[in-house]
Amino acid sequence: MTTVPSIGESTSGARYAIEILGVTKQYGKVTALGGVDLDIEPGEFVVLLGPSGCGKSTLLKIIAGLEELTEGEVYIGGRLANYLKPSARDVAMVFQNYALYPHMTVRSNLGFPLKMAGRPRDEVNQKVEVAANLLQIASELDKYPDELSGGQRQRVALGRAIVREPLAFLMDEPLSNLDALLRVQMRSELLRLHKRVGRTTVYVTHDQVEAMTMADRVVVMRGGLIQQIGPPDEVYRRPANRFVASFVGSPPMNILDGRIETADGSRRFSGPIPVDVPGLAGMALDNGPAAIGIRPEELLLVSAGTDDSFPAVIELVEPVGADIFLSAAVPGGAVLTIRVDAETRVAEGQSVHVRIAPGATRLFDAGGDRIPAGERA
Amino acid sequence: MSVVVPRRGAPGAAGAIAAEHARSRRRRRLRGLGKHAFLIVVTFLLVAPFYYVILASFKNSTEIFTYPPKLLPIPPFVGNYQKLLGDTGFLRWMFNTLFVAGTVTLIKVFVDSMAGYALAKLDLTGKRLIFVLMLILLMVPLGALIVPLWALVSAMGLTNTYLALILPPLANPLGVFLMRQFILGLPRDLENAGRLDGLTEFGIYRRIVLPLIKPGLVVLAVIIFTDQFMSFVWPLIATSSDNLQVLTVGVAALRSHGGADYGLWSAAAVMSLVPIAVFFFVLQRQFLARSLAGALKQ
Amino acid sequence: MALGTEIAGGGRTRSMRLSPDQHRRLRRQARIRRELTAWMFLGPMFLFFVVFLVVPVVGTVWWSTQSGGIVSGTKSVGLQNFQRLPELVGATNAIQNTLTFALLSIPPILIGALAIALVLARIGRGAAVYRFFVYFPVLVPGVVAGLIWLFLTNVDFGLFNEVLRFLGLQPVTWLGGGSALGVLAALDVWRNVGYWAIFFVAAIIGLPEELYQAADLDGAPPVKRFWYLTLPLLRRILFFAIVVSTIWGLQVFDTALVLTNGGPGTSTTTIIFRVWQYVFGSNDKVGFAAAISLVLIVAILTLTLTQMRLLRSRRGGD
Repeated sequence: MTTVPSIGESTSGARYAIEILGVTKQYGKVTALGGVDLDIEPGEFVVLLGPSGCGKSTLLKIIAGLEELTEGEVYIGGRLANYLKPSARDVAMVFQNYALYPHMTVRSNLGFPLKMAGRPRDEVNQKVEVAANLLQIASELDKYPDELSGGQRQRVALGRAIVREPLAFLMDEPLSNLDALLRVQMRSELLRLHKRVGRTTVYVTHDQVEAMTMADRVVVMRGGLIQQIGPPDEVYRRPANRFVASFVGSPPMNILDGRIETADGSRRFSGPIPVDVPGLAGMALDNGPAAIGIRPEELLLVSAGTDDSFPAVIELVEPVGADIFLSAAVPGGAVLTIRVDAETRVAEGQSVHVRIAPGATRLFDAGGDRIPAGERA
Repeated sequence: MSVVVPRRGAPGAAGAIAAEHARSRRRRRLRGLGKHAFLIVVTFLLVAPFYYVILASFKNSTEIFTYPPKLLPIPPFVGNYQKLLGDTGFLRWMFNTLFVAGTVTLIKVFVDSMAGYALAKLDLTGKRLIFVLMLILLMVPLGALIVPLWALVSAMGLTNTYLALILPPLANPLGVFLMRQFILGLPRDLENAGRLDGLTEFGIYRRIVLPLIKPGLVVLAVIIFTDQFMSFVWPLIATSSDNLQVLTVGVAALRSHGGADYGLWSAAAVMSLVPIAVFFFVLQRQFLARSLAGALKQ
Repeated sequence: MALGTEIAGGGRTRSMRLSPDQHRRLRRQARIRRELTAWMFLGPMFLFFVVFLVVPVVGTVWWSTQSGGIVSGTKSVGLQNFQRLPELVGATNAIQNTLTFALLSIPPILIGALAIALVLARIGRGAAVYRFFVYFPVLVPGVVAGLIWLFLTNVDFGLFNEVLRFLGLQPVTWLGGGSALGVLAALDVWRNVGYWAIFFVAAIIGLPEELYQAADLDGAPPVKRFWYLTLPLLRRILFFAIVVSTIWGLQVFDTALVLTNGGPGTSTTTIIFRVWQYVFGSNDKVGFAAAISLVLIVAILTLTLTQMRLLRSRRGGD
């Protein structure tokens, strides 16, 4: 990871910046985290992605030491962090609601952690200046948080984390309180910042667009368990199970239930649409209920019926800028979402022919896990 | 209230509608006047006694008894006040009350806010139990505990000391609930940020919680101070020596001992009210609004 | 115990590095540290609370089983004090007086406060001025209020009789046998109506405006509006007010001492008054004093508990 002069070097000599071993969290009868393992490389930008209540924020707070885990171990920079106070763990956090000290100026807010650590005044001032310049809030240094806009407050929250030069940044949905436009701007700014400062970052969000655009690796979580870990690309194209498949990607992947049967000596998937599941013959899977998944952009409209196409009737046309999303019904009642170019001329009620891009079909077994196809990459 | 609205187009309709508007406006104004009249009467009834007593305090004994009474004491007779301030221990009593009330307020503001912080934000075994216990005993007054309290205080050797006046009122849990309520309103992330920044729990209390609940602290201080100012039963019992008397007890003594010196009594009443009147006048706007908003959040 | 799970796409199965025992020990240490910190905050207040409130409450129970004087020593007599209480004229009389007092004072206080609040809440200008004067009597210490009312009720020059004389009527002995308790109640009304008036004003202002707008659209006259809309909405606040003002009413003492000194006779001797007399006015009645105190405490606790129970069961809006 190339870093343009960063504020400081990471202090870790360990192999991993953060290691999470078998972490569980119980609130009475409720299991917020059910056994989580994760290794985070130094300098990596890891995104914890999942719906509300999946445990991502809880995990972040456990790393920070703001919540106590029920079982498991957390190592930060190679040291066991379970029983360390939050301030001793060498991590800094950016909160969803910024949590700026309302009765202190921006300058005091930024310098506070350093002051608490007993750093000399000159050092504190210098670091505050550097951070303020980096985040373009130097002109707001003497204002109070309630005089700032949401975006500015966010930067101050970031700045407060940066001045500490911690081993890792922990960010808890920092952009969700901003309006859409600001969110997009801040996203790219955060990325730019990360490229410049290069510090390990653990970022929590429920917005999969943020995850896809910012992460080195995405950790998809649900119900307190990790569903999949991998680069955005992999999570998108080779989801580990139905949940990941439908959660990542907007609009969601088309998932159709059906059965695996043996007919005429060969195995095939029978469902609402005729599909050819690549490598089905060689899959270690019994006959029975199963499901297939195809992304909207993997469904193509063809002008005339061919062998491998099937008919559908367009029910809804939703233009979205550069694309149009169609809801098309197939005989049997299932509805597919198809992405087409904005130039395509389609109308509701129109009958069309649909073809599946070769190799796009993914198979999910009865339990929801994806079955990889033999030696396909 | 039924209103006869003339049909549109009927002869004279426009005029009738205008007249109706004028009538309802008049009704509204009358209602407004009625409200003010009612409030003025009520206020008068509540305030007139004060004026009457202030009057009496500036009259000598004969003037007090004459009928019809002089409504304006000219020339004002200051003998009553001279006697009050010179011959009785009034000034001493006033000092004692202010000292005790001030000390109790100061101590309680800190002790209650710390306890409120613990109950609101910290882990404690039996927190719920303690909370409920305080809630149940909240309304038990010191006056109902005279017997054991007196025994306790004498056993501790504290009779006739300032401590005897200061310590028992510290037990009232009202302040703890008030503080807890205010502190619960502070966002959790704020203390978390503090923890990550290296603050100890006490540091969080001092640098984050206290500054942010300042209005609550003011409300608490006012409540405690006025309560202590007015307290009577316990000081009556706890202290017997003259120079430790508080205002309320001293004034009551004026009534029971010595003859019926109405002039003196009226002067005493007036002088007792001066600190409260000033205090209240200064704080009135903030206190009334804030205390009620805070209290009603329950 | 979860030792690790295998997950698709990048996790490892692995076990923790510290033993469960070590974890247990370290966890306990951390928990103790946290608990200690919490107690440092709660400690002082809790100490005062226990020593000067809880212990005395328990102490009252103990003292009520004693007979004798506080200074002269006592001996245990079990529940005798309670058994003899009904016969003890001073005690029953005190309880009776206090209850009558409460009955005489509380309804006017609350009804008056409600009336004032209803008007005060709808006044725009001058509200602050009215509030100041209405609330002022609340801040007057009981003994001073008693003194002031001595000036109102005095037969010769009291304000009340001056007014009567002005109207050509006969002067009244306000503090005479039959009416003393009533006058004491009136004093309490004068003193406390402002407190509850301001309290109710805040409550009324907090009521949702839309309901009243809907009522206006439905053409409801003010009286009906009050009866069917305001009153039910204020139910919980009213209940709270009744309980709390009753608890305060039962404690009446300083005004009775200054205004009438318990008299004439014993017609205004209240519970706490009697307790005080028993403790400091005689040598052998400590047990009775404690017994009556206990009766008072139990009454207060009962009221408190019913209030808590009712507030809890009626959660949510009506």
